[in-house]
Amino acid sequence: MEFYKMSAREIAEGVKSKRFTAESVARESIERIKTLDKKYNSVVTLCEDEALAAARRIDEAVARGEDPGPLAGVPFAVKDNFCTNGIETTCCSNMLKGWVPQYDATAVKNMKEAGAVLVGKTNMDEFAMGSTTESSIFGPTLNPRDTERVPGGSSGGSAAVVAAGLVPVALGSDTGGSVRQPAAFCGVQGMKPSYGQISRYGIVAYASSLDQVGPIARNVGDLAVMMDVLAKEDPNDSTCDAYERPSFSGALDGASLAGKKVAVLTGYDKNSIDAPLAAAIDRAVEICREAGAEIIEAALPITMEHTVACYYMVALGDASSKLACYDGMRYGHHADGRNLSEMYKKSRMEGFGEEVSKRILVGTCILTRGYYENYFVPATKVRQLISDEFKELFRTADFLICPITPVLAYKRGLSETDPVRMYLGDVFTTIANLAGLPSMSLNLSFTPEGLPANVQILAPRFGDAELLACASVIEKAAGEPAPVETE
Amino acid sequence: MKRKVVIGLEIHLQLKTKTKLFCGCSTDYIGATPNTNVCPICLAVPGTLPVINDHAVDLAVKMGLGLHCEIQDGTRFHRKHYFYADLPKAYQITQYEHAIAQGGYLDVIAEGKPKRIRLDHLHLEEDAGKLVHPTADGRLSGAAYSLVDYNRGGMPLSEIVSMPDMNSPAEAIAYVTQIRQLARYLDVSDGEMESGSLRVDVNVSLCNPDGSFGTRVELKNINSLKSIERALEYEIARQNRVLDEGGALVQETRLWDDAAGVTRSMRSKEGARDYRYYVEMDLAPIDAKPDYVERIRASLPEMPWDKRDRFMEQYGLSLEESQQITEQREMADYYEEMVKAGAPAAKAANWARMEVQRILHEEQLDITKFPIPAKELGTLIAKVEKRELSNTQAKDVLAAMFGEKLTLEEAMKKCGASGGRMTGDALAAVIDKVFAAQPEAVETIRKGADKKGAKAKFLQGLVMRETRGSADPAEVAKTIAEKLG
Ligand SMILES: [Zn+2]
Repeated sequence: MEFYKMSAREIAEGVKSKRFTAESVARESIERIKTLDKKYNSVVTLCEDEALAAARRIDEAVARGEDPGPLAGVPFAVKDNFCTNGIETTCCSNMLKGWVPQYDATAVKNMKEAGAVLVGKTNMDEFAMGSTTESSIFGPTLNPRDTERVPGGSSGGSAAVVAAGLVPVALGSDTGGSVRQPAAFCGVQGMKPSYGQISRYGIVAYASSLDQVGPIARNVGDLAVMMDVLAKEDPNDSTCDAYERPSFSGALDGASLAGKKVAVLTGYDKNSIDAPLAAAIDRAVEICREAGAEIIEAALPITMEHTVACYYMVALGDASSKLACYDGMRYGHHADGRNLSEMYKKSRMEGFGEEVSKRILVGTCILTRGYYENYFVPATKVRQLISDEFKELFRTADFLICPITPVLAYKRGLSETDPVRMYLGDVFTTIANLAGLPSMSLNLSFTPEGLPANVQILAPRFGDAELLACASVIEKAAGEPAPVETE
Repeated sequence: MKRKVVIGLEIHLQLKTKTKLFCGCSTDYIGATPNTNVCPICLAVPGTLPVINDHAVDLAVKMGLGLHCEIQDGTRFHRKHYFYADLPKAYQITQYEHAIAQGGYLDVIAEGKPKRIRLDHLHLEEDAGKLVHPTADGRLSGAAYSLVDYNRGGMPLSEIVSMPDMNSPAEAIAYVTQIRQLARYLDVSDGEMESGSLRVDVNVSLCNPDGSFGTRVELKNINSLKSIERALEYEIARQNRVLDEGGALVQETRLWDDAAGVTRSMRSKEGARDYRYYVEMDLAPIDAKPDYVERIRASLPEMPWDKRDRFMEQYGLSLEESQQITEQREMADYYEEMVKAGAPAAKAANWARMEVQRILHEEQLDITKFPIPAKELGTLIAKVEKRELSNTQAKDVLAAMFGEKLTLEEAMKKCGASGGRMTGDALAAVIDKVFAAQPEAVETIRKGADKKGAKAKFLQGLVMRETRGSADPAEVAKTIAEKLG
């Protein structure tokens, strides 16, 4: 059977109705990873034994007449910065190589409790810092849509693994677009929920106030089911809000855009956007209009001008703080030194790669007296202004449509030749993280060369269910992306 | 030249919670095997997040209210960064810009004079772990390696920062003593300096001739009230001497060496490190809305100084007596119960301060563990007042109650004090017994050779001792005279 062409919901349905077993689904997924992933390098740790054992437990539960949950027997993979009990978690860094956590991240735990079967850990930029998945100690991941090109980052492995049809769904983490941008580059659907929607417990932090777990799938329906499973209050994470979540998958039933107001972002140079991406925006807007939505234009002058600078101030300051615990003392890479201070220096210099070191250095500088007052404090104020600008926008609009990246997936090596251009590519994604908004990367089409063209949709904070509903209307008209065809 | 002394204190008070400030680990770490009271959160295992212990917030607010502070709603934690082996996250979570309790003051009495000491603020923070150096003196110098015990890491502390309002070691001692007393009254901390539940850093400077503050020196490593006094006296003398000799003081941190009785320079403030404070985004702002604060305020017991004043007024005690009895809330309660049981206020105060304190001291006991019910001791004192017992007898009864775990009734029977005074046949029997034991003295008197009455006095004394003071001396003398007459 070709399970890899099925959605997560179809697999769960089939397992629960005993049309096929969870074990057979897991076996196919593992086989495909073993054979096909040689090409893409999207999986860094395969959990074969654990996955088969978990799948058999699901089958036994079904045999006993129990309901193993909405994701029964669905294989999934998680980015290697999610802690997984008994399974190596490295953040694709020498610093954590060989480290095995003794607990599951809450998101992983919730997926498992919903019946999903963990088959592997996916490749990423070291400590989630980057947008090409090239800074991993395990080597770069190649984009399954075109192996000459990068899969995006930092959750490039998670996006690639879904695009290649190795698993139907995967988890990434999104600090400044790290789920949505690779989803866009790999031609799958990826979401960054509202800040506070999903527990961050067990995810190796990059920046506490920006990070959010993001589900990746090939269709919006699967994203909604994952949101039902993932979005829960967690006593282990005080920033994970305690409120009654709506049914996200329920929001998709009879979803309509009639009477809704959809804002289209203006105020940027349309010519700076790759043509297929500009066309994708037009197509998405057209679908919304046909579905009965009123289209308005919206400019976000403060956001557009300051978002990237503001984002890097906040993110790098936080990163230097959160990565301070890797000192070679208790876990991770350790180097001997003649004294304590030398031990710290050597351990950190040897453990962290170039991009991570660079960001820690800049972040530390930002928090230093003097710089803190002149750079960091203004950045937090600008952040508030960005938030306010969105609040104002969402007084009149239900959704915002804008590009997710200015460019199609690019060839490998750009991050070394043109890092500034790479950072500027974050202009459209980081806004959602700074303002805590839910945002989605939605595939609209493919270029004749087979490169995916995606758009971004944003909604007000905690408007995640409405966002999914809107995305499902567009997806219905545009069609959902299929996995890469393998010969 | 006499310069004015200026002292400010920072007191770290360990809060009496069951679990640590940001995780569920036990706070019961004294004597625990190293690194057993730890979890992924307090060890900063990747992926873990801190979660605030609400009870610690309650206790900090309680203490803040006791110190007349303004409680702030929505205050945040900050990360204070530095690399050190006892700090797993490489930052300490503490309150930096905005503390939960601001302002406030404490009225103390030092050397008989009242004094108001203003506070800057009280904030919450977590403690660091402890380094153990394998040298004979436990110090770092000379150690080939060091071990870390993270049991103390993450313990909840409240730091109370005073204004530089103290002008003598006596005022500093009075302030620390009263902070400790308050902490115990409010049950927010056991306030033990020896075990590290209460730690004091002292800032001391001498006023310049123009009235401005002089160079400030911080003293650390002080772990008893006595050391505070000695360290301050030493440091004040040292600073005066340096200035007298025309020298200049440096702003620095000095360690108090208790054995040598001196302070030693630890590090100069010039190279003060930049902690790179950063808002702790993993924790939401602390919720301390007015209704919550009022709820805590309503739960506060009578403050120690209010109790002290009330005891003086209500029971007519002197300041010293009242202070002594109200120093511990449990002792004050004990005292009041004795009075309720009929003991006169002044006598009860004496008994509390002398007899009870003596036993507690001898037995190394705390008043909370004192086994004799206040009601029984109060009743006993009332009996003395009614002349049913002598003082000596009452003390014997108390000793029996304590030593042999007897009730008041049993102890009185045991001491032959249950019937009150010893007279008549009982007394006659005791006298006969004494006579039988002292034939020489009896003979002397009978022969009329006891010219000065010395032997008769001797026998009388023996009888009084035998009756444990319960006989009337006049009756004893009379009966002896009759028997020998
Ligand atoms: Zn702990």
